[in-house]
Amino acid sequence: MFRRPIVLTFAVGLGLLGTAFASTGSIADAATSGHGALHATTPGGPLGPSHDTKTSSSVTLSGAGANSINPFFEEVFYEYHLKNSKSTVTYSPAGSSVGISDIEQGTVDFGDTEIPMAAKDLAKASRTVLQVPVDLGGVAISYNLPGVTSGLKLDGATLAGIFNGTITNWDSPLIAKASGDSSLPNLAIVPVHRADSSGPGWDLDDYLIKTAPAWAKAVGTKASKTWPLPKVGIGEQLNSGVATYISQTHGAIGFVEYGYALEAKFTNAALKNKAGAFVAPSLHSISLAGSEASDLSSTKYSIIDGPGAGTYPLANFSWTLLYKKDPNEAKAIALGKLFDWVVTTGQQYSSSLGYAPLPADVVALSTATLEELETPQGGPLFTK
Amino acid sequence: MTVLSGASDLASVKAAVRHRHARRGGRAYVVLRWAAAGIFAAILTGLVVSIAIDSSQAIAHSGIGFLWSGTWNPTANQFGAGILVVGTVVTTLVAMVIVVPIGLGTAAFLSELAPRWLASPLSTAIDLLAAVPSIVVGLWALLVLSPMFANHLEPFLKSVPVLEWFFHGPAYGPSILLASVVLSVMTLPTVVALSRTALSGVALADREAAMALGATHWQVVREVVFPGARSGIAASLTLAVGRALGESIAVAMVIGNSPSVPHSLLSPGATLGSAIVNQFAEAEPGIGTSSVIALAGVLLVLTLLVNAGGQALLRGMGPGRLRRRERHSITQVVA
Amino acid sequence: MIGAAPAQWRGEEAASSGDWEARERRRPVIQASARRSLGRRRRAGRFVQVLCVLATAIGLAPIVALVYYTAERGLGGLSWSFLTHAPVPEGIPGGGISTAIVGTGEIVGLALLMAVPVGLMTALFLHERRGRLAAAIRFGADLLTGVPSIVIGIFAYALLVRPLHHFSDLAAAFALAVLMVPIMIRADEEAMGAVAVDLWEAGVALGARRWRVARSVVLRGAFPGLVTGNLLAVSRGVGETAPLLFTVAAPSFAMTLLIYTEGTQPFPSEQQTAWSTALLLLLFVLVLSGIARLVAWRLTRRAR
Repeated sequence: MFRRPIVLTFAVGLGLLGTAFASTGSIADAATSGHGALHATTPGGPLGPSHDTKTSSSVTLSGAGANSINPFFEEVFYEYHLKNSKSTVTYSPAGSSVGISDIEQGTVDFGDTEIPMAAKDLAKASRTVLQVPVDLGGVAISYNLPGVTSGLKLDGATLAGIFNGTITNWDSPLIAKASGDSSLPNLAIVPVHRADSSGPGWDLDDYLIKTAPAWAKAVGTKASKTWPLPKVGIGEQLNSGVATYISQTHGAIGFVEYGYALEAKFTNAALKNKAGAFVAPSLHSISLAGSEASDLSSTKYSIIDGPGAGTYPLANFSWTLLYKKDPNEAKAIALGKLFDWVVTTGQQYSSSLGYAPLPADVVALSTATLEELETPQGGPLFTK
Repeated sequence: MTVLSGASDLASVKAAVRHRHARRGGRAYVVLRWAAAGIFAAILTGLVVSIAIDSSQAIAHSGIGFLWSGTWNPTANQFGAGILVVGTVVTTLVAMVIVVPIGLGTAAFLSELAPRWLASPLSTAIDLLAAVPSIVVGLWALLVLSPMFANHLEPFLKSVPVLEWFFHGPAYGPSILLASVVLSVMTLPTVVALSRTALSGVALADREAAMALGATHWQVVREVVFPGARSGIAASLTLAVGRALGESIAVAMVIGNSPSVPHSLLSPGATLGSAIVNQFAEAEPGIGTSSVIALAGVLLVLTLLVNAGGQALLRGMGPGRLRRRERHSITQVVA
Repeated sequence: MIGAAPAQWRGEEAASSGDWEARERRRPVIQASARRSLGRRRRAGRFVQVLCVLATAIGLAPIVALVYYTAERGLGGLSWSFLTHAPVPEGIPGGGISTAIVGTGEIVGLALLMAVPVGLMTALFLHERRGRLAAAIRFGADLLTGVPSIVIGIFAYALLVRPLHHFSDLAAAFALAVLMVPIMIRADEEAMGAVAVDLWEAGVALGARRWRVARSVVLRGAFPGLVTGNLLAVSRGVGETAPLLFTVAAPSFAMTLLIYTEGTQPFPSEQQTAWSTALLLLLFVLVLSGIARLVAWRLTRRAR
């Protein structure tokens, strides 16, 4: 027996620590050569036809933000790490508000949100923030009705009635009239919304304000990321919470990112778009919504209830938040290369996950915004 | 009367004395001891002070009405802890309603009724299960209990006519009831373990005295053992209430996150802990974060009050020996 | 009321009445009423027995069900590759939770480094000193054991995350340490209290320095109790989630956080990860508690 328990515990603790540090190092980065010295950008930089992804020193980038883009980010960051083992990217999909507040406080390297930061939020950040569209996704209205297939037709007024609690049962005549389906079961409706503030919540709120006068009268004319009627139905955290609840509960209906609905094989409603057609969410209908976006910018970003016959009315772009000037040059270069890759080559991974590839003009906007990145000294990070 | 430990004996005293002329190191030891105590005291005060300071912004913004205001609407800059306090108290209360009879009944069974070959392994099993991490309970409740509640239990409870006042409204699954059940599953092992120890610790002489007067087994248990174990049972219940008040993650997973006063046990609700879990990360720095930290402050005060109250209660109860009045009541009852 | 005393006999009156004659006259009445109430009392007792058995069954059922479900659903996902591979995105096979296991080990190890010395030394302080300061610190430790872990997490955030502008294992370890220290202080002090006071006094009286006495007499004697107490504190710390929420950089670095994020996903493979991680955690915590109690049991055996 050791005579000094303190010594024993110290030794055990140090041992644990030592093995932990040793193995963490090897997992995170196989070929690390330590942190190389910061050096200036090589002329004729990576932005260009080659879209070269290699960085010269090992970097770990951490981001936080929207939950909806997580399946896409998870995949592309994984693929990126395979191609470039020196870059490790971690993303915390805790919600866009988290990402925005982290960017404002400087605790992450990049953020992501469906609703770009407004001018007053940008002013709170200590450094200038660039907003780059990286993804095109949609919000599905998913329901759990045994025996009812996908594509139940719902318009804004009916949806509003469901989510404000005036329609309480699936066999209500109002739903039968709107959907043209009178064989719905006698089952209580359980509306599910996001308990945290969310982009999909904003999207649905905006859609209902535009299409249902009763909704606009109750909640006002400005959409909000925080669900305006939290006392109706159940609130769940994040897309995953809503999706888990819908999958477990008969009679539930809620809004989730289309990627999640696709993966979970949910039955989704066909929503009435501006042209009057009922459109179900799909890669095609979401792509159409994206391509109808004109003059896209961080102040004119909404493609909710857009024009076009086959457009899905609940689609949105996802915007990555980057500091224009990152004091750590290696990180700045790595970030720039990463997102340049994501908006060009990385788009090939989006379709299988339920996101539509960015339309060409949006890719141009993204690369143009990325070219505004600066080195710590003030010059452009990438040469054109 | 202290227990003589086998390892420490005369030999070790001799060893200590032998080294008494060893190099001076005594002062370092005393300093270390003071330092440790000082660090601990600093951490304790630091905890209270840091939460107080961080909450001050919220209190300045919302006034003292923060404590009972019923609105929590970050976008409208309205923050109030009232509904959350109600939710916390209600879930803890319902959990205690479940835990007290079942916990004490189980403890009585293990301590008084069960044969030795059954009581011993069961008690060990329960002691071990007191260590189940709360996230595992939450996971099980979310994925297994919640659908069971929504599809079977809650409709059943609604159909019982007598209980209508408690159980009405849509049966969603996540609800005050489910959260209370989760809390009771988490606190039950602690209550059982501590109560059982307290019950078996009652002096044999007291039990035999009652039996000599002709009391049946149940009367002995009721009049002698339970009163004798009073302080231990009270301690276990205080611990359980403290744990139930502060449990956050598991509750957040199953309570439905509805910022409204629950009108039935089946309605979703929110507690201080669940609100902190859900709101903290996305709270706007400044008033938002400060308000969430103020919620933590309210929770801290609540738990400290319960703990301090429990300790005061224990001191008032004394060692649990029977008082004169109770001894007379036994004789009365036995006739 | 069960066994209510008949009207004509109140214990105090009969006892204070000095009349032996009167008592003898009442004897058959008393005996008769005692016989009548016996049946009533026995039946009541049996009824309560049934209630107690019922209570035990109801009380044990959820916990047993929990362990059973966790084992049943989690076992399928456990494998060597699960333990040694890093997480991969949804849909790609072959992932694991190695980063989480290592991360948890790191965080708990760091927390132990901070908590054990402070706990031990403070317990020694309380053991050797009397007076109001010691009483205040003991009271503080009792209060701190009851503080919710989420409040401690917020404290760690305010102290170590916000000023430094990034999440870290250190902040998480600090939060866990603050959680464990009061438990360790109380358990350590109790263990030390089991060592005979006269031995300590003998050592000091014979001129040995205090720290020498502490080392040879107190710590050596209390060692099994110390191990028990500290192991129990560790098993508590390993299972905590709330303090890690606000301090850890990413959920893949802590097992409890991973259970939380994966368990709330609607996809079966991620739920499977959650169950398997939960099973691992449960086993680990049970083993730790088991070892702690084994040590305590051997301690009490040796003392007899």
